[in-house]
Amino acid sequence: MSGGEYLADGKNQSLFKDKPIKILLAKPGIDGHDRGMFVLARAFRDAGMDVLYAGLLPTPEDVVDTAVNEDVDVIALSLLNGAHLTVFKKVMDLINKRKIDDIAVVGGGTIPDQDKPKLEKMGITGNYGPGTPLKVIIDHITERATEARSRKNRN
Amino acid sequence: MNVDELFEGIRKRDLRSVSRSISIFEDDLQSSKADELMKRIYPITGRAHIIGITGPPGVGKSTLMGRLSKRMKETGKDPALVAIDASSPFSRGSFLGNRIRMQDSLRENGIFMRSLSNRGFKGGLSLSALGAVKVLDASGFDPIIIETVGSGQSDLDIISIADTTAVILAPGLGDEIQAIKAGIMEIGDIFVVNKIDREGAFLAMKDIQDTLSLGKSGNWIKPVIGTNSLTGEGLDELINEIDQHKKFLGNGSGRDTRPTSELYLLLENRIRKLIESYVSDDESTADIVSLVRSRKIDPYEASEAIIRKSFGHVGKN
Amino acid sequence: MDYDDYYSRKLISLKERIPKENHERELWSEKTLEPWNNSTGYEEGNFENSSGIKSDYYYNSEDIPKDTESSDLGKPGEFPFTRGIYPNMYRGRLWTMRMFSGFGTPEDTNRRLKYLIKHGESGLSIAFDMPTLYGYDCDNDRSHGEVGKCGVNVSSLKDMEVIFRGIDLSKVSTSMTINAPAAVLTAMYIAIAKKQKIPLNQVAGTVQADILKEYIAQKEWMYPPEAHIRIIRDMMTYCTENVPKWNYISISGYHIREAGSSAAQELAFTLADGFYYVDLGIKSGLSVDDFAPRLSFFFNSSINFFEEIAKMRAARRIWATVMKEKYGAKNNRTMLLRFHTQTSGYTLTWQQPLNNIVRTTIEAMAAVLGGTQSLHTNSYDEAWALPSEQAVKVALRTQQIIAEETGITHTIDPLGGSYYLEWLTDQMEERAYEYFDKIEKMGGMLEAVKKGYIQKEIAATSYRRQMRIENGEEVMVGVNKYKEENEKPIGILRISRKAQENQIQRLARVKSTRSEKKVEESLSRLEEAMKNPDENLMPYYIDAVEAYCTLEEISNVGRRVFGGWKEPVIV
Repeated sequence: MSGGEYLADGKNQSLFKDKPIKILLAKPGIDGHDRGMFVLARAFRDAGMDVLYAGLLPTPEDVVDTAVNEDVDVIALSLLNGAHLTVFKKVMDLINKRKIDDIAVVGGGTIPDQDKPKLEKMGITGNYGPGTPLKVIIDHITERATEARSRKNRN
Repeated sequence: MNVDELFEGIRKRDLRSVSRSISIFEDDLQSSKADELMKRIYPITGRAHIIGITGPPGVGKSTLMGRLSKRMKETGKDPALVAIDASSPFSRGSFLGNRIRMQDSLRENGIFMRSLSNRGFKGGLSLSALGAVKVLDASGFDPIIIETVGSGQSDLDIISIADTTAVILAPGLGDEIQAIKAGIMEIGDIFVVNKIDREGAFLAMKDIQDTLSLGKSGNWIKPVIGTNSLTGEGLDELINEIDQHKKFLGNGSGRDTRPTSELYLLLENRIRKLIESYVSDDESTADIVSLVRSRKIDPYEASEAIIRKSFGHVGKN
Repeated sequence: MDYDDYYSRKLISLKERIPKENHERELWSEKTLEPWNNSTGYEEGNFENSSGIKSDYYYNSEDIPKDTESSDLGKPGEFPFTRGIYPNMYRGRLWTMRMFSGFGTPEDTNRRLKYLIKHGESGLSIAFDMPTLYGYDCDNDRSHGEVGKCGVNVSSLKDMEVIFRGIDLSKVSTSMTINAPAAVLTAMYIAIAKKQKIPLNQVAGTVQADILKEYIAQKEWMYPPEAHIRIIRDMMTYCTENVPKWNYISISGYHIREAGSSAAQELAFTLADGFYYVDLGIKSGLSVDDFAPRLSFFFNSSINFFEEIAKMRAARRIWATVMKEKYGAKNNRTMLLRFHTQTSGYTLTWQQPLNNIVRTTIEAMAAVLGGTQSLHTNSYDEAWALPSEQAVKVALRTQQIIAEETGITHTIDPLGGSYYLEWLTDQMEERAYEYFDKIEKMGGMLEAVKKGYIQKEIAATSYRRQMRIENGEEVMVGVNKYKEENEKPIGILRISRKAQENQIQRLARVKSTRSEKKVEESLSRLEEAMKNPDENLMPYYIDAVEAYCTLEEISNVGRRVFGGWKEPVIV
């Protein structure tokens, strides 16, 4: 089974027919644990997405600049070093400051349950931990990307 | 954002408008919006010098492109970049990895760069790349540098919209030979041997020079330059040659052929797309395909049948 | 010494040695197995380990070379050390139970170290936070939110002084898990020893400093590979001469495995890194018997029990053999592969965390049966956050139970001679030499890493494994099988923000009280030294830390001189 089959049964095929979901993966902190990121990058590509990786140690500014220049649908943030509340917030602050409402932000990593509502309140959804099936993640991203793309395509 | 907002944004170089406009040229669902936008921006394009960078994988094109744009910025130019990544033939998804390779140069110098993925119908990429170039041109960027993987028809198509094409090679990979075979020697205006710190670099440069001197080159003498994209060696020479080539085009007739090559590129791809849409829309095509699969008819006959079915009314021969 | 094509020749002879046919099993299969399988309708399953080695139904003496006992195993404490590096192993001395710790502020860490010393521990082990590992100070913007999170923060010598306040460095040995800035931290340790008036030849400890595996797996570097390797060379030559009890490299497979490699890849890439450092020492004019005994290793112990034991046994045999045959080592100590083990973090699950105690126990047993010299057992809550005190205690008790209740330690290499284990050890060895051969042909380990070849191999394995878990071919209890709904969260440790504020305040005090003139002078001397590749940087680092230059100021000199490094794209 390849990741590609996941998207095949998804609903919003037509919206992404010519231009697939474009996603930026980023670990915007001092955290080099990139094993999970590479697995996700491949899985997303195999699910038909255009995948960008922000590289090692990007600043929150780098992440948002890249997202804007590449006009991505989704930014996926991940941290395993416990700094998510501080660092994810910095990314969201920049997004809000630049009044960006058509790029969805999802999160993941080692995020304790009690932190999830705080992240959701900032607008960061998903917040999946280790062991989450890829299908769950891909479905969630597809859902959020659909919102984002619809906003992009409106006049 | 509507077309008016996008147009205003492009003129003011608001990066969100610029990048959203490029997206519109990537997405066929938005084709009417794209056409409308092009009508607005086309009159203010034509100022930028378009540089194509091509060559086999692994020669350090992206890193070189990052360093080159940085150096250009330092010398007062205002470059923007477009890089094309190959997509997976299986899922149509892609990993847009070129960006990582030039990230540092972009970050330090605030250079705009956009990745495009090579996917969809044949020629789709040429249309979105052309759109991206026009948007950046309208925004006042100059030069605009496009990087491609240097293989296949769509790459050659993209190169045809560049004013100056630099072919990047590296020693020790047997690329010189491959390049000659692949026919990219013909499309290059400038040849670059990257990684000149490596063994065999000098020989590679000489090989290329020898090959170039065999073919006819017109009035422009194609230079061969050695660079090192890690140290930045040779970059100034490359920039100088690009400028020389621009001057050469300005004097001759080279540059004014671009609108016509753009037209033919668009025409060819749009016609192909149109034809493909006719063919794939025809339901009975599937029956013919299954006849071929079961070896009941041969492919020659089948293709003739499909053409007759699809275009019979247009008139044959 | 015979360098040319050593590995490819070795591989050929190894392939010739390993038996390919097994008549007894074939006969058994025809006579007993097939009728049974046919009558029960059994379908062939896939019994494959992480290294892609498929197990057969059973093993017998035909599966191993006739002379295995005399030539492949040896005896405990004898070449090729497959059974163990010491003649009496755990009967003489148990492995060191070294629990890695690092807590928010230097003050906390100091208290923790003193507590451990009071309870008889002499082997200290310190973990650092992410800013320190990347050479950034606590007051850098990027460090915000990360100070003291995954370990202690060190921004200047002042912090190290606090960590070791009241601790006599001549009485302890300190292991510091630090890589890119290892030379700076070593310089700080030396500076403290000098303040305590302890002769440098009595200073004992370890820094990880294995930069190759940073490019391969952990991704904590500051400069291009060549620059870091030059700094390692400087540490090697300086310490060999001046601080002979300093283990300046701990060659680590742990992170390679955590990054998703198989056991065989961990084995191959770690040893290949080791051989690279041996070449480096020899190239800088040291004699192999003078420096190689200071090299030590660090392996992962994961959940496939026999695979892990086979890996550790194969590692000892390969190291001893190559050191002797290829590098001409004369001294037994040069051939000994000493290693620390940590149980696998990757196998710990976030779901049903108490199950992790069981996983860690099995992994710890594999490490002990594999003959480790020291061991860190993970805590059951580590998939969630830094371990709580309760969880750390259970992890330590796990080791104590294995050591003192089970009887596993009563005899050396108790599984040695098992047909299956010996066969598996041979298989692991063969796979390692296949990689050595490939890497040699690519122009060596540094080239292979710079090209991204090693990283790609690991990423491919990691992705394949993830897919196997996704579709249930590989079971993770509680994750893709025997799942539970509505699990209760466990209590976890949180580090307070205060750590960051304290650190920033201390750094500000350091900066306002030091002599700026000395700082500038020592940094510019360091810069000049960096520009001259023949100069040894260690004295300049010591000079700079003693002038209270900060970790980031010192690291930035290198960033200016050497530049940064972009990893190859590996997806």
